[in-house]
Amino acid sequence: MYRRPFVLLALAVTASCGGAKRAERARAPGRTLDDFGDTVRAGHGARRIVSLNPVTTELLFALGAGARVVGRTHWDLHPEGARAVADLGDGMQPNVEAVLGVRPDLVLLYASDGNRAAARALHRAGVATLAIRTDHLADFQRAARLVARAVGDSAAGERLADSVERSLAVVRARPRSTKPPTVFWFIWESPLFTIGRGSYLTELVETAGARNVFDDLAAPSPQVSLEQVVRRNPDYVLAGPQNAMRIRRSPAWRAVSAVRAGRILVVDTTLVGRPGVRLGEAARHLRALILHDTVP
Amino acid sequence: MPRRTWLVLLAALAAALLAALALGPVPLSPPAVWRALFGGDDEHAVAIVRTLRLPRAVLGVAIGAGLGMSGAALQGTLRNPLADPYLLGVSGGAAVGAVLGVTLHLSAPAMLPLAAFIGALLAVALVLLVARAAGARGDPRVLVLAGVVIGAFANAAILVLLSGATDDTVRSALWWMMGSLGDATWAGTRWIALYVALGGALLFAFAREIELLALGTDPAAALGVDVERATRRAYLAASLLAAVTVAGAGLVGFVGLVVPAIVRALGARTVRSVIAGAAIGGGALVVAADVVARTVRAPSELPLGAVTALVGVPFFLARLRRMR
Repeated sequence: MYRRPFVLLALAVTASCGGAKRAERARAPGRTLDDFGDTVRAGHGARRIVSLNPVTTELLFALGAGARVVGRTHWDLHPEGARAVADLGDGMQPNVEAVLGVRPDLVLLYASDGNRAAARALHRAGVATLAIRTDHLADFQRAARLVARAVGDSAAGERLADSVERSLAVVRARPRSTKPPTVFWFIWESPLFTIGRGSYLTELVETAGARNVFDDLAAPSPQVSLEQVVRRNPDYVLAGPQNAMRIRRSPAWRAVSAVRAGRILVVDTTLVGRPGVRLGEAARHLRALILHDTVP
Repeated sequence: MPRRTWLVLLAALAAALLAALALGPVPLSPPAVWRALFGGDDEHAVAIVRTLRLPRAVLGVAIGAGLGMSGAALQGTLRNPLADPYLLGVSGGAAVGAVLGVTLHLSAPAMLPLAAFIGALLAVALVLLVARAAGARGDPRVLVLAGVVIGAFANAAILVLLSGATDDTVRSALWWMMGSLGDATWAGTRWIALYVALGGALLFAFAREIELLALGTDPAAALGVDVERATRRAYLAASLLAAVTVAGAGLVGFVGLVVPAIVRALGARTVRSVIAGAAIGGGALVVAADVVARTVRAPSELPLGAVTALVGVPFFLARLRRMR
C-alpha cells in the first residue's frame, strides 16, 4: 500500500494542471471540476442522464437514480435494470446525435482523449457533461462522489464510497506474506496484452495480497512478449474462462513454468472487469483464488 | 552466380538464425542454446529455445523466403525492379481476408490464415480481371496499375470493416496488418513452410519463361512464349507465395523489393539464381528484423512490418532516384 500516496500525488498534480483560473471557478459553490477540466454545475439533480461508461451506469443504479438513466453503452449490462435502458452504442467516441436523440440534461463520459470531441459537441448543444477517469481504485471513490453530487444526493455517494472502501480495507487487512505470490494477468492474445501499473487490476491484485509481475510498466494494458512472461516467471497465470482454456491447449505457453505446473487460475471476468461498485467483492474473489483465503 | 555470393547469403542467414536463438529477454549462453536444441535436461531452456525461439526463427525463414522469391519473380515478370507483392495489392487483399476473419471472430489459428489466403486470391483475380478489362493482356504496366487500384480498394474495405469493430478487434487487426512472427507455433509453421516450398518449386519450374519475359513481351513472343499465359502463371505463383506469408505473419512489406535487388547487386544474373538467392537472403532479412523487433523495445515488441518498412522505404527511394 506504499504506492497509495503516489496515486494521490499524481491526482493532485493532474488537478493542479488545469490552471489557477479553472481551480478558482471549481471552488465556487455548486461547481465541480471534471477530468477534462470542465466545470459542471452540480447539485441541480439531473433528470435525464446518459451514462457512457459501465462504471458510472452501475453507480447511478446503486445510488438509486436508475430510473433517470435514459441512455447507456452497449456494454452496460449490470445491474439487470440497466438492460432496459436505450443502448447508444460503443461509448468511446459516441455518436453525438444518438445521444442528443434521447434528450439528456447530463451526459457522463469516460475521460479519455477519444471522448473530448464528443464532450465539446455536447457543450455546444447545451448539454452538461461530466467526464470521469475510472482507471484506478481511487478513481472509484471520486466517481461515486461526483456522480452522487450530479444527481443531487451527495450523502448517498459518501455512503457508497465508504462501504466499498471498507470492504477493500477488510481484504487489505488480511495477513500477508513478505514475499507475496506473483501473477501474470492474461488479457488478450495476438498480440499478448497484460495489465500494468496504470490499471486498477494491478492495485486489486496487490489488495488481495499478491503482486503483478508487470507492475513496473506504466501503461494500463501494456503489450508484452511471451518470453518476457517466461523470464518473469509468475507463480500463477490469471485468465478468463475461455482464455484459460486457450492457454492450456497452446504448446507455446508450455514454456511458462506456472502453466506446465497447471497453475492457471480462472478469473470471474464479469466481476473484476470494471472498477465499480463490486470492487470489494472482486478483491475477495482474487484473495480466495490466489491465496485460498476466504474473507468473511 | 559467383560462389562468393552464395557464401555471403548463407553466412547472413546463419548469423541471423544464431542471433534469433541466442538473443531474447531470457539470457542464454550459446552452449546453453546448443544443449537446449539437442537433448538437454534444463526444462526451462528447452522450453524457451524449442517452443518459443526456434518455431519463430523457422517461420521467419519461411516468410522471408516466400517474400523474397515472390518479389524476384514479380520483378522479372513485370520487368519492373520496383515490383513487390506488398505494393501490388496482393498483400492488401490478404489483409482484407484476415481482418474480415478477425471481425467475424474466427479466432481459431487455422481459420485466420485461410481467410487471408482467400482474400489474396480474390485480389489477384480482381487484378487480372481489371487488366483484362483494360484490354492490355499481360501488359506489366497495366498489371501494376491494377494492383495499386485493388490495393487502395483493399485499404478502404479494411477501414469499413474496422469502423464498426470493438477496440479489441481493432487492436488485433492492426497488429496483424503491422506484421509479426509472435504467433509462431510448430503446427502453423509447418503448413507455411510447405506452401512456401510449393510456391518456390512452381517458380523454379516457370523460371525459364520468366527469364524470357524479362527480355520484353515482343522478344519473348518471338521466342515462342505464350506471353499472356506465362505472365498469368508467374503472377499466380508469386501471389500464392505472398498470400502464404501474409497468412503466416501479416503484412511484412518491402522484403520482396529489397532482397532481390541486393541479390542482383551481389552478382546474380539468371532468374533462377535471383529467386534462389532471394529465398536465402529474404530469410536472413526477416529473421534479423524480427530479432530487432523483439529486443529493442523490450518488454514490448515492435511490429515486424514497421522494422522492414523502416529499412525498405529509404531503399525504395534510393532506387527510384537511381532509375531516373
